[in-house]
Amino acid sequence: MLELRNVTKKYDGKVIFEDISLKVNKGEIVSILGPSGCGKTTLLHIILGLTDISSGRLAYDKEDITRVPMKHRGFNIVFQDYALFPNLNVKQNIEYGLRNRPNVSTQAEVDELVDLLEIKPHLNKRISQLSGGQKQRVALARTLVMKPKILLLDEPLSALDGVIKETIKARIREIAERYELTTLIVTHDPEEAMTLSDRILLLSDGKVAQYAKPSEIIKNPANDFVKSFILNQLNIKRRNILSLFEADSVPTDPLEKYTQMRPTPTGSSVTEDINAIIQRTAAKSIKDTSKS
Amino acid sequence: MKLNNSPLMKASWLFIGALFLVFMFVPLGKMLVLSFNVADGLGLSHYVDIISSNDFRQVMLNSFFVAIVSAMSATFLAFILAYTVHWTNLPKGFKQTIKLASLFPMLLPTVTYGFAIIYTFGKQGLLTKMIGFQLFEDIYGFYGMWLGYTIYTLPIAFLLLNNTFQYLDKKFVIVSELMGDSRLRQIDMTVIRPLIGTFAAAIIQCFFLAFTDFGIPASIGGQYKVIATELYTQILGASPSFEKGSVVALFMLIPSVLSILLLWYVARFNVRYDSVEHFDLPTSKVKDRILGVLSSGILISLLFVFAVIFIIPWIKTWPYEMAFSTDTFTKVIESSNLMRVYKNSLIVATLTAIFGTIITYVAALIYERSGLFKIGKLTIESSALVTNTVPGMVIGIAYLMVFSGSSISNTIFIIVISNIIHYFSTPYLMSKNALSKMNLGWETTASLLGDSWLQSLRRIVVPNSILTLIEVASYFFISAMVSISAVIFISGAKTMVLTTKIVELQHFARFDEIFILSLMVLLTNITALIFFAVARYLYTRGMYGTKKVKSNKTIVTTVA
Repeated sequence: MLELRNVTKKYDGKVIFEDISLKVNKGEIVSILGPSGCGKTTLLHIILGLTDISSGRLAYDKEDITRVPMKHRGFNIVFQDYALFPNLNVKQNIEYGLRNRPNVSTQAEVDELVDLLEIKPHLNKRISQLSGGQKQRVALARTLVMKPKILLLDEPLSALDGVIKETIKARIREIAERYELTTLIVTHDPEEAMTLSDRILLLSDGKVAQYAKPSEIIKNPANDFVKSFILNQLNIKRRNILSLFEADSVPTDPLEKYTQMRPTPTGSSVTEDINAIIQRTAAKSIKDTSKS
Repeated sequence: MKLNNSPLMKASWLFIGALFLVFMFVPLGKMLVLSFNVADGLGLSHYVDIISSNDFRQVMLNSFFVAIVSAMSATFLAFILAYTVHWTNLPKGFKQTIKLASLFPMLLPTVTYGFAIIYTFGKQGLLTKMIGFQLFEDIYGFYGMWLGYTIYTLPIAFLLLNNTFQYLDKKFVIVSELMGDSRLRQIDMTVIRPLIGTFAAAIIQCFFLAFTDFGIPASIGGQYKVIATELYTQILGASPSFEKGSVVALFMLIPSVLSILLLWYVARFNVRYDSVEHFDLPTSKVKDRILGVLSSGILISLLFVFAVIFIIPWIKTWPYEMAFSTDTFTKVIESSNLMRVYKNSLIVATLTAIFGTIITYVAALIYERSGLFKIGKLTIESSALVTNTVPGMVIGIAYLMVFSGSSISNTIFIIVISNIIHYFSTPYLMSKNALSKMNLGWETTASLLGDSWLQSLRRIVVPNSILTLIEVASYFFISAMVSISAVIFISGAKTMVLTTKIVELQHFARFDEIFILSLMVLLTNITALIFFAVARYLYTRGMYGTKKVKSNKTIVTTVA
């Protein structure tokens, strides 16, 4: 279990965030959500060990890791821009870590990852020959080969669009479940957070606005910020989709369609719960809007 | 992001800091002290002597005048060339020829320009013989230097303007036309105004280069004294005075520093459009033809000046015995002395390329990709800036004052070091630019995958910098081959290089040999360029397959 206790970060006297406390259970997917500049990526870098904290404590499985250097924490990250090495091909990128730690993964395990992420046809390609989604999968594979204790993903879907985004979402979920891998995801998109995570850490003005399951956030938003940041954005998206369906005269319930757009291999009770909540909340919000 | 702060990084910083201290700040400091050195201690008498001298005032006026006129001519001609390249619908091959031919003078030392001008425009010159009269009444002095400096600075002005032209949005021509602007107003709004900053930068840069050059006034200056020749006379003339030489050197430094400050200032006038769309310009055959003719005229004139280098060495005795002869060539090849000089030049250029590339790259690495303390980075940055403002002659004189009689005096080592310090700024900026564009996550990712910092440097950062390193090495090699202003003061009999040998041969009027040596410099530079282009091609093919890779565009800001 990862635990942050009263973590504070200051840059040149300016507080980035203050007194952040949270616990992340093994195998859990947690999204760190918030508006631009709220310190999401900084928090991710702190957990990784790339950035020092100003005060507070970090622990992993009850062991204090506050002063443990990044290299020895055993966590790993996929950066927003993937940071793939352009002088190496796909295979060399994926197996890069094995040059330093040959026994960390067997060839069979590497092959399994390559299959799971559907990279096999691209193994001998140059990085410059890959699409955004392919790059994302290569970066994921390269990181997973090292068997990290915690997988950190910095805006993993921001550079992707449409079907590719949905595919990657499904893969992230599948990996987390298959390897029981604790996964922390930085995102600014409430829909991504809602549909991908077990819990959401919502940051605002350097403080935790709410840390809860998606269903809990929808049911009981902690404050006005949570309401406006999550629910309003979801409603805007929903309205856009609704108008599209109306334009095409599709008789199907658009709200049902909207919730069907989430990744498929989940099926957990939590997600089902969210479906219902999103439907209800969105419908209520639309009613309120039309009244006003 | 947290970056590397290893002991190796600190040691590298210490090494580079020490290099600047010993080979730049101490010599310049010593020169400054020497300028105040009088019989009974320190005083301003040398300054008073120099400033009150009518001759010196005339020298300064001459220098300013000829440098400014040349800078303006070069910028004007470069504008025509760059305009033709970017704003006409002329064939691509023709535009490519303009780009290559306009850079040709950079492959030759400036001292050669003077002799080429004499043999083209002089009483017995090639052009004079062809047209039957002398174009310039007296080619020695102002006119010769004006021509020389214009040829010398034209490539720099062209590089600057060509670079900015790439960022001008041709869409505005369409807008201007649709808005009913007259042709003149259209040019003003879409070309001249956006280029104002670059025009100023080009004129300042060209002025700086012309003001501090030694090769051209040394060969064709005649009685028209400029500060470079005055400095040479003060230091290596009949009655040398290091103290007065120091004062003159400092006077040369003032416009140099001012030029760099002005360059900073005019940078704010640069116009950058948010996005540049590639539009085809409306076809105007008349405009295209006029510019095609003008550009061809400029290039033919430029290359014609250098034609004599290829002709004179093969003539028995120009202009009296016009028969073909290989005597001069054979004499040079058989002369062990001249071949030793050539060998020296090759060694100096190669060592400058190797060590210059390593040192500038490490300095850029420290600045861009280390977690070194701010002051550490600042010292590297400001030292690089100082190297950009110090003319080669000043470096050469400062070295002469400090290292004369020491164990490194008259060695290849001191010439290589002077070249590295002299040309440090541009390659440093090239490396810094390339490193700053690299993904900051690479080192972190490599570290998370088990690499040490050195391993990630060797496996990731350096392999991804190869193209820049090739460009930097190429810049250092060619600059070292044509460099004259610093080495003229520090090369000895055993360490003489081609450029200094050319100056020496001038005193014996052995112009045939001068042209042969110039040809050797030219051919060596062309060979080096081909070598670097092949290296670049092979690396690009290996790394990117057949995909075309855009070159790392660089503005060359050479100081003579």
